[in-house]
Amino acid sequence: MSVAPLTEEQRDAMQEITNIAMGQAGSMLATLLGTFVNLSVPRINVLALSEVAGAIGSMVGRNIEITAVRQSFHGYLRGEAIVIYGRDGCKELGDLMGYDEVLDRADEIELLLDVSNILVGACLGGINDQIKGITEAQGAGELSFSAPSLMAEGVPAEVLIDPDKLTWTHALLLEVNFTLEGRDFISHLCMLMPEHSIEKVRNILDEFIASL
Amino acid sequence: MPIPILVVDDSPMARKMLIKALPLSWDVDITQAGNGEEALAAYRAGKADIMFLDLTMPVMDGFQVLEALQKEGLNSFVIVVSADIQPIAQERVKKLGAMAFVRKPVASDVIESVLKQYGIVL
Repeated sequence: MSVAPLTEEQRDAMQEITNIAMGQAGSMLATLLGTFVNLSVPRINVLALSEVAGAIGSMVGRNIEITAVRQSFHGYLRGEAIVIYGRDGCKELGDLMGYDEVLDRADEIELLLDVSNILVGACLGGINDQIKGITEAQGAGELSFSAPSLMAEGVPAEVLIDPDKLTWTHALLLEVNFTLEGRDFISHLCMLMPEHSIEKVRNILDEFIASL
Repeated sequence: MPIPILVVDDSPMARKMLIKALPLSWDVDITQAGNGEEALAAYRAGKADIMFLDLTMPVMDGFQVLEALQKEGLNSFVIVVSADIQPIAQERVKKLGAMAFVRKPVASDVIESVLKQYGIVL
């Protein structure tokens, strides 16, 4: 079974909604790190599951080792939010936040999970704020998310998603990234939603567009 | 005479939302641009007495547009309309000559109060 891509109008609406949500996440990251954060133009794609790993690889860069944190979300939409950092993301965050003492590994991971949680919360919260007028009218209920967990450390980006471990056939992939001026630090925030959520997203976007 | 205004955003939906938020009574001639390069072309063609400018765009972003306008001798009243709500972003665009900053999603009362503040609409 194939899943149609979003129409141009749906993709545009999703991109703008994501852009606004990401602006809120980026502003929080800027406050946390005390530096200016460059925001990317969001990328929105419907992919067969077998294409997802490669798509993430080409967004992040091939042969680049990464560290990643995941959080699943559920409710009227469900899926996975994944925050990808460079291989030394833990250490970079500690340095950026101005910790003088050397953090032990547990502290580093806790910091990484905290920052990821803030980014995912701001982004999902920002999306939810913009569409809740529609989802509430549909009686769709709330969106909630699990605690963040370390997904991978020091692996190439293109092997991050193992299609054999997911029961999905397709995924809607949203990607935004944050870079810092004069620093190597980069962070990609990806959201993946399976086929039944894609259909709900289409409905929500169609209503959103019709309301304008 | 209608005022030539330019709405710059890579998203057609965002442009539509902004145009919808403009005061109904305002007599304007609206031109739209999908990126910074198109915006500069429209500006040079005299279509941008007032410019509503997004920051995060492909090809040429809003910061680059402001820099280019400064080099050419800024002669447009630029209102930045952006999802990038970092305080530093707001400081930067004002240093680059933007008159005001409006956050997305735009609200018509916010747009109106900015326009009133500068005496553009009464």
